[in-house]
Amino acid sequence: MAIIKLDDVSKLYGFGDATTLALDEVSLTIEQNEFVAVMGPSGCGKSTLMHIIGLLDRPTHGSFMLNERSVARLSQARRGKIRRDTIGFIFQSYNLLPRLTVLENVALPLAYRGVSLAKRTKLAINMLERVGLSDRDYFYPPQLSGGQVQCVAIARALVNDPKLIIADEPTGNLDSTSSRLIMELLSEIHKSGNTILFVTHNPELTRYASRVVYMHDGSIIQDEQTKVGEVAETALQQMYTVPTRTAEDDLAGVSVLMKALPQKESRASKVEPVKRGRRKAVGKSRSKVTRKPVKTSRSNHAAPKRGARK
Amino acid sequence: MTSVYRGNIKMAIASLKSTKWRSFLTMLGIIIGVVSVVTVVSIGEGIKHQVATQINQLGPDLITIRPGKLVERSGNGAVDGVNLLFSATDGGVLTPKNYETVSQTPGIGKSVPLSLLHGPVRIDGHDYTPLVLGTTSSMEQILDKPLEFGEFFGDGDALKDQPNSAVIGHNVATKIFKQRQAVGENFEFLGQTFFVRGVFKQFDTTPLSLSTDFNDTIFIPYQTAQQITGENSQLYEILAKPSDSSRLTQVANDITHRLETSSQGQQRFTVLRQDESLAVTNNILDLLTKMIAGIAAISLLVGGIGIMDVMLVSVAERMHEIGIRKALGASSRQILLQFLTEASVLSLVGGLVGVILSLIINFVLRVTTSLTPVLTWQVVVGATVVSLLVGIIFGTAPALKAARKDPIEALRNQ
Repeated sequence: MAIIKLDDVSKLYGFGDATTLALDEVSLTIEQNEFVAVMGPSGCGKSTLMHIIGLLDRPTHGSFMLNERSVARLSQARRGKIRRDTIGFIFQSYNLLPRLTVLENVALPLAYRGVSLAKRTKLAINMLERVGLSDRDYFYPPQLSGGQVQCVAIARALVNDPKLIIADEPTGNLDSTSSRLIMELLSEIHKSGNTILFVTHNPELTRYASRVVYMHDGSIIQDEQTKVGEVAETALQQMYTVPTRTAEDDLAGVSVLMKALPQKESRASKVEPVKRGRRKAVGKSRSKVTRKPVKTSRSNHAAPKRGARK
Repeated sequence: MTSVYRGNIKMAIASLKSTKWRSFLTMLGIIIGVVSVVTVVSIGEGIKHQVATQINQLGPDLITIRPGKLVERSGNGAVDGVNLLFSATDGGVLTPKNYETVSQTPGIGKSVPLSLLHGPVRIDGHDYTPLVLGTTSSMEQILDKPLEFGEFFGDGDALKDQPNSAVIGHNVATKIFKQRQAVGENFEFLGQTFFVRGVFKQFDTTPLSLSTDFNDTIFIPYQTAQQITGENSQLYEILAKPSDSSRLTQVANDITHRLETSSQGQQRFTVLRQDESLAVTNNILDLLTKMIAGIAAISLLVGGIGIMDVMLVSVAERMHEIGIRKALGASSRQILLQFLTEASVLSLVGGLVGVILSLIINFVLRVTTSLTPVLTWQVVVGATVVSLLVGIIFGTAPALKAARKDPIEALRNQ
């Protein structure tokens, strides 16, 4: 059964000359219990897609069936209810409420569902145990490490027992150890029957996914099934296939290719290392120095190294 | 659902605590508003209460005749308006002749004139200005108040030996003569030497009442007063009591009629029964209380605007939080309730603090002044409810703004 079925979904922002096309007739079908990674450069429309699938935003055109029910044109209140009962969100910046305790944060979605205080406390405690934070119930989010906070956020996303979990760069702010911990947790959740959709810039993390979707300029350019435990092939190459996108970079002769340099060379040229594969404007001098070595070393890149660069 | 509301209250308190200073300053508007309204109303109530006691101690069948048109009467003779300004500017006069008319009215038991004398009272070289009234010996019975020391002066022949005797009020004794037992003391008034023959017990009095405060009064014999002032003496007021108190209304009407006839409608005066006097005072006090309370209530309005202001800032600051809550499934109504609860808690706490402060002020006033403010439960409940309403009314717009926010826009707002 398809849990998500997008047909020619487009999303436009702005009016007149300032209109931007965030999603360009995207069609995507996700079956129940899939573990889908969405990859693509910044600004390619990943987040917009997540927001539309998560019912936070409405598509400008196209149809969207969630659980075989058309939801593209529902009122905000109806979408809010569906969101509450069937979707769990995990954000890059955690988005916990700092003034509530860990336990209250986890119990919040239950409160909005009208569950009694005793019951929601119990459920929240169970959920925190599941993510391995049973001893932090009465801490406040600022007192925890990034990885722990994200675990709390996952517990919060799970507490309503949603069918679909949407994670927008869940490991984006975490170091590699915490990232692995979070991904292990997500894949454990996946094993218990949830459908998970997550955005990542880290090809290494496609190991956990059963399917990888690549986006570029508002379209899905590649969609492949992968074996769980292996880094997706296209993910390894993606960086090298994507051309430059800004005039500034074109002028400077910088392409995404160059930004995929091994760390050592970046350091050697005294330029700050590129983070999370995001494109950054870099000086001319660096690009000239590093252009050639990149081409030659392409095949030598080992995925774990790139992962560690994060 | 109740658990959500309870959660809201808890959350509201937590959120207000996190911005203590701001919350306190916002509440201050409500606190000041509630304190001023409650205090003004309770002082007004207290004075009304005091006036009632004061008027009743003179006996319910006392008739007061005053110069000037103090009240408006409707066709059937009932008081339906008070002329505060008129009575002061359009001052008619009462003359000794009017007193004769009153005293000859059938059905009058006792009546006394009170003539007002102006001038300093000199004791041991110091000048004082108590109220000096010339009256007759019937005053003692009309006031129905025993003397604490000494005796009242007599009339006519009894007065011949000592025309310059005086009876003084309690405050005159303690404040001017510096002793409660002032009988036998001398004072000079308008070139003559008087000696104190009696001291009244203390009268229950109150400021802001229409009646004279007899505690601050020196009574001298009417005849002596007339000799001092000569022909054109004026009367301050005339007090009368009917011989049969059940015919009070009849007698009062007769007095009015006779006075009008004797002056051919040229004189303005007011004949008031005690119950009317009470009504008039209450009327004036109500008006004053309402006016001052109304002005004080403006600060409640300003407080409400302050709450609205702070809630708008709070909503803008917490846009991201609203986005998170909506993403987690909060409905617009739940967001609305959350912010409405916060505004209500803010104003309700302000209202309660205001009520507590009013109680303290009440107590301090009772201890330090002659005022005895009366705080009724209706006023306390009313103030609390009104402050809660202020919070709800002024919290609605910001709460609606929060509730209507598009979740994705709110989430983007870091």
